[in-house]
Amino acid sequence: MIVCIAVVGHQNNPLYLQSFTESDDALKLHHIVHCSLDVVDERVNNPKKSAPTLSETFLGLLYPTENYKVYGYLTNTKVKFIMVTTDLDVRDADVRNFFRRFHAAYVDAVSNPFHVPGKKITSRTFAERVSTIVKSFGLNSAG
Amino acid sequence: MGREVSESCLENLLIEIVSSFCTGFYVDKPELAARRIEAIGFQVGHQLSERCAIDQPRFTDHLEAIKFICKDFWSELFKKQIDNLKTNHRGTFVLQDNRFRWLAHLSVDPSLDASSSIQDPSAMAKNKAAQATGMHLYFPCGIIRGALSNLGIPCAVSADISNLPACSFLVRIKA
Amino acid sequence: MQEYPEELRTPPVALACLVGCPDVHALITGNLHSLQPPINTIALPDFSKISVISKAAKENPAAGSVKPVGGIVKRDWLSKHRTRVPAVVAALFSSDHVSGDPAQWLQVCNNLENIKATILGRNIKLLVVVVTQSGSKYDTNEDRMISLRKHAEVDSKNLIIFVPDDPLELKQSLNRLGTACAELANAYYRDEGRRVKACLERKNVGSIELHIRYCFKVAVYAEFRRDWLEALKMYEEAYHALREVVGISTRLPPIQSLVEIKSIAEQFHFKISTLLLHGGKVVEAITWFRRHISYYRRLNGAPEVIFLHWEWLSRQYLVFAQLLETCSVTVQNLTTTVSIPADKQTEWEFYPPYYYQLSAHYLKEKNSYLEFAISMSEDVGGIDGNVESVVASVYVGQFARLLEHEGTYAMQALTDDEYVRYTLAEGKRFQDSFEIIALLKRSFEAYNNLKSTRMASYCGVQMGREYFVMGEFSNAKQVFENIASLYRQEGWVTLLWEVLGYLRECSVGISSVKDFIEYSLEMAAMPIMTNNAAPSFRDCCPAGPPSLSQREQIHKKAFGLVTGESGTAPSENNGLKVNGDCPLYLEIDLVSPLRVVLLASVAFHEQIVKPGARTMITISLRSQLPLNVEIDQLEVQFNQSECNFIITSDQKPRLAAISHVHPDRRVETAPTLELPTSKWLRLTYDIKPDQSGKLECIYVIARIGPNFTICCRAESPASMNDLPLWNFEDMTETIPTKDPGLAFSGQKAIQVEELEPQVDLKLDSSGPALVGESYILPVTVASKGHAIHSGELKINLVDTKGGGLLSPREVEPFLADNLHVELVGISGQERADHSEVNIDNIQKIQPSFGLISVPFLNVGDSWSCKLKIKWNRPKPIMVYVSLGYHHSSEPSSQKVHVHKSLQIEGKTAVTISHHYMLPFRQDSLLLSNIKAKHDSDHTPSLALNETSNLIISAKNCSEVPLRLLSMSFDLEDDDSFIIQPKEEKFREPILHVPGEDFIKVFAVIPMGNCSTLKTGAVSLEWQRDSGLGEGFYSCSASSQVTKHRLPDVNVELPPLVVRLKCPPHAIVGRPFTYSVTIQNQTELLQEIKYSLADSQSFVSSGPHNDTTFVLPKSEHVISYMLVPLGLGSQQLPKVTLTSVRYKAGFQPSTTSSTVFIFPSEPPFQVTDIGETRFVSVTE
Repeated sequence: MIVCIAVVGHQNNPLYLQSFTESDDALKLHHIVHCSLDVVDERVNNPKKSAPTLSETFLGLLYPTENYKVYGYLTNTKVKFIMVTTDLDVRDADVRNFFRRFHAAYVDAVSNPFHVPGKKITSRTFAERVSTIVKSFGLNSAG
Repeated sequence: MGREVSESCLENLLIEIVSSFCTGFYVDKPELAARRIEAIGFQVGHQLSERCAIDQPRFTDHLEAIKFICKDFWSELFKKQIDNLKTNHRGTFVLQDNRFRWLAHLSVDPSLDASSSIQDPSAMAKNKAAQATGMHLYFPCGIIRGALSNLGIPCAVSADISNLPACSFLVRIKA
Repeated sequence: MQEYPEELRTPPVALACLVGCPDVHALITGNLHSLQPPINTIALPDFSKISVISKAAKENPAAGSVKPVGGIVKRDWLSKHRTRVPAVVAALFSSDHVSGDPAQWLQVCNNLENIKATILGRNIKLLVVVVTQSGSKYDTNEDRMISLRKHAEVDSKNLIIFVPDDPLELKQSLNRLGTACAELANAYYRDEGRRVKACLERKNVGSIELHIRYCFKVAVYAEFRRDWLEALKMYEEAYHALREVVGISTRLPPIQSLVEIKSIAEQFHFKISTLLLHGGKVVEAITWFRRHISYYRRLNGAPEVIFLHWEWLSRQYLVFAQLLETCSVTVQNLTTTVSIPADKQTEWEFYPPYYYQLSAHYLKEKNSYLEFAISMSEDVGGIDGNVESVVASVYVGQFARLLEHEGTYAMQALTDDEYVRYTLAEGKRFQDSFEIIALLKRSFEAYNNLKSTRMASYCGVQMGREYFVMGEFSNAKQVFENIASLYRQEGWVTLLWEVLGYLRECSVGISSVKDFIEYSLEMAAMPIMTNNAAPSFRDCCPAGPPSLSQREQIHKKAFGLVTGESGTAPSENNGLKVNGDCPLYLEIDLVSPLRVVLLASVAFHEQIVKPGARTMITISLRSQLPLNVEIDQLEVQFNQSECNFIITSDQKPRLAAISHVHPDRRVETAPTLELPTSKWLRLTYDIKPDQSGKLECIYVIARIGPNFTICCRAESPASMNDLPLWNFEDMTETIPTKDPGLAFSGQKAIQVEELEPQVDLKLDSSGPALVGESYILPVTVASKGHAIHSGELKINLVDTKGGGLLSPREVEPFLADNLHVELVGISGQERADHSEVNIDNIQKIQPSFGLISVPFLNVGDSWSCKLKIKWNRPKPIMVYVSLGYHHSSEPSSQKVHVHKSLQIEGKTAVTISHHYMLPFRQDSLLLSNIKAKHDSDHTPSLALNETSNLIISAKNCSEVPLRLLSMSFDLEDDDSFIIQPKEEKFREPILHVPGEDFIKVFAVIPMGNCSTLKTGAVSLEWQRDSGLGEGFYSCSASSQVTKHRLPDVNVELPPLVVRLKCPPHAIVGRPFTYSVTIQNQTELLQEIKYSLADSQSFVSSGPHNDTTFVLPKSEHVISYMLVPLGLGSQQLPKVTLTSVRYKAGFQPSTTSSTVFIFPSEPPFQVTDIGETRFVSVTE
């Protein structure tokens, strides 16, 4: 289950952060997302030579923490997507698929002429779309 | 990319933008009008690039990003690629479109020499026709700048129309 | 890791035992220990002690006993093999005894038998050592030796002759002993391993516990042999086997069973990780660790002792972090080259801080569960005192009660209930917070070293929370303050909210009102708009969930506190108070996080203003606080304090308490000073600056209530930064002023112009200056409307071309010679009344700068002075004169400046040139002229002792007429160079108009025969023609001297001198004599060829073409008789002379061979001027 999804801007500022959990660790998820930016920086600035994901937007597993796994995605426009899940066995393909759909939703949201680039995303449509995407995560693989 | 727009509509809109800014809002201040038109282009480029870059692999250097502008982005906008790309490898790129679509239907008095860089408005003032053409180029300049800056490359863009209908855009990346 | 026993932490070391001959034990022990790998030893001085290593009576593992297994691994098994059960026993016998009398020999045999009997049960290897002295080495009885070997049943290589008293032999024996020991030890561990393994392979191991135990033993034996691969394999097998036990073992009550399994798994895992990491297999180790955790973290165990699980988990992370740290060097090398498997490791998993942090996290978890468990158990009824006798049992991970029964102890198994009580009691004894903080601190520092500031910040937050829980507020505050800046910078509002919430509480804890208010206000002004925070945020911050209502609450509380009218009970404020005794003063600058609380943007409507004129200023205030703020008084402060003013609200009567400000301040009123949330409050007033210079608004000070002041640094709207945190919010932008132009370009500073000066400053130009003279420049100060108080005149000379007044290469500025133009003096006009002595009449003069004070002048008065400037070289300069004065006697009054400048050309007045001429109709043959004919700039050559003419011409280059007074020569040597006249003072000054040349001829006779003769200089004394501007130039009437240096001349004795002689005029038809005199001045005979060209105007007689010889020091005259035929100026027939010796020809010039022919006798006196002049020159 995805417990948190975040969009982080150029200056590592949160543009959108939504947690999908009933328990009281929402703040912790903020911390986890924030910490994961360090991994993104590390992975983008010091890429391992052998890594095949050199120029992929999908950054893969950023780090596992207590109960969560954190995945990252970096668009060409230097916007980071961070996803936190509680699932222990996650297939890379599912995550990729998730991020692709999320990216499309993001692009639609920021292409709104009334959206000011670099500001937080407040669109309700976007929030609804995101929660649909989040809910459908992993359903295909379960079947 | 399912959605498309009518080219003539867009061209008319551009002409209308230019004329309303140059002859309506800022009659005596071509610099201010130019800045406003460029700013509109900037936002358009900024948001368009977000969509165009969605399926691209991450760019690892400036050249890749510029190539993206020349190929995919330009194709998206004008159904053709940039014809010629030159660089000095020190942050300056020249993108040349041999037949720039938005200038194709612009008539220019051939007796007047249209060779003027739009970067210098004072020099331009001498040449009315070049000025009018130059005004139409702030919008595409803004688009390129917006797209590049959204890709994380702050830069300055100017255009040169010394031999119409070819148009070359000069991109200087800020260090 | 430190709490693990030594034998577990370090790789095992083989053990040997020495018996007998105690005097050589030290030698052998040392040697064995220094081997690679080392061997530890037990030294037994005599054979009776051998029973120490004998096998205790116990079940034979190989027999597969029927007794149920008590546990999985015995606690002391490892240490037993490291300290008590040797692999080898070395029996040491003295050679005396071996070869001694039968009684001794029998003793030896007996001892040997004893040992054999003892070690038999354990399969310990035997080594026989015969200690002998080097002297008696060959005395050993061979038969006895063989017999000894037979008895001992050892190979011959295991019977060692040990010679302790000869260094060489000793070394050999030690080597042999060491090798044998190592071999035997290896063999022992191999055999033991095989034996146990054989049991395993027979599959008849009674229970899974035994299976695990045997695997463990095999692994340890392999470790003894340093067979790491085998050890790793067997450990892994043991580990896997252990996992099968989980949940099925019923040997122990379930809680204890799990505890035992986890303890053993921990040991196995530790061993495996150590082996992997030391083998450089970091990736495998991390993978292994992940698997280990992912398997066991689900085995929480019973809920009442779940804290044991978290403790265990925390320890796993801690130990792994420490292991990783100890071999971090290898990690660095490996991470880059390792090929990443599908489920790849992430960056952090290679670094210890990741594990430290999680260890801390689980320890924290443990702590909270433990507290819960303790509180539960207290509800049940406390813990009985039985727990004291609980000790660790013989098996790893088990506990038992120690019962004392008539002097003997017995272990009694515990029930789970008892066990739980025991663990709770144990848990109570430890305070984990320090541990947690220590772990987090390590992680925090390590992450900071890795430049992972965000990770470090998270650790910091956890650390701060822990400090906070412990009540160490100042520590907590320090930690949180460091972190807050990162969250502010990156705009992580919720994280910042949490940190600020803690900081706010910490401020209460350390009773700092200022901090409390600052943090409260910052929190209240944060961009949080949601009104109902997500339920998931409950209880996570001390300040409550981030929500608008919470902000409002914080806002109310803070303002309630500062205004004193707190509706809140004093107890709620925790002793914080703001009152007349301790007022609160906050300062907000451009980088303060409190800019969101109050932002003051100040814009002047104009950029430049005249002094005394009115201009408008707009003060725009903005606050992001959630509720409106009522300001009682605003004070606007400028750098010119006279402009400061105060704004009070119309609606509210001025508070008496805050009227303590300057009484004569201007007070304005505004309809309202209520600051609406997120909107600009714009106040526009006019302002009248009096002083010139920059007028800048510095502070806007808001007073709220009698004791609360916010001092806010003013900002220009043109250069205003975005509000921190709010700049990421999607909200409509507003501008501080109504006029958008002003919002983009408005400045908080304005330039106040200077007072219009009402004084005339006049520089009277008088045309160009002449080099050399003291040029006088009159300066007049005339007051038109201002009296001049303490005026000062500054004079600057500046080269118009930008260069200095010095020649470029000259460095020393004050050498007058180097100065092209200098200010030499300022002469002030004496005032009419000399009574007033101006004491502070300063006067300072430097070559290009001058300062003079101007006396007091009343309106309408004037004063003048004269600048004396001297040009040393021709150069145009600018003279800048500026007058600074006060227009009233008050020292505070504004200084007014008047500037004037004037360009003055400096010109050379006279240029002098010269040339030499030979006397009329006389020529000397100068050899140097022949040689250096081509040289253009050769020094002029003059004939020795002959008279030459020097022509001096002076040209007036200036634009003014000059008067020439005299001309004189300064000669280097009066004897060798005679000039006539040496000095000539003109009877009356000669008027010399511009452009005119003045020429004067002098006769020179060089007397010294010298190739380069120093001549001297000619001086021309002149002065400006003062015929017109009389009086004004009284000073300049003094004469100037222009000097011209004459170049050196070449003086030589001419070998030949030719003179032509003929009358100045002739009459047609009347014959006259034309003679050429050749004077030979040498000691040689000179051959001269000469010829005469015919001329139509004359009839000539005399030799036409001939060669003649001139005797030394004598003259030869060639004379012709000529009869003129033509009239007027006629050319005499040309005579050409050629000196054969010098190959030099002579032809008289046309001028010197011209004669005027009159038709008849002219009617004038014969004493003609030409003749006299000629005479006067020659004489």
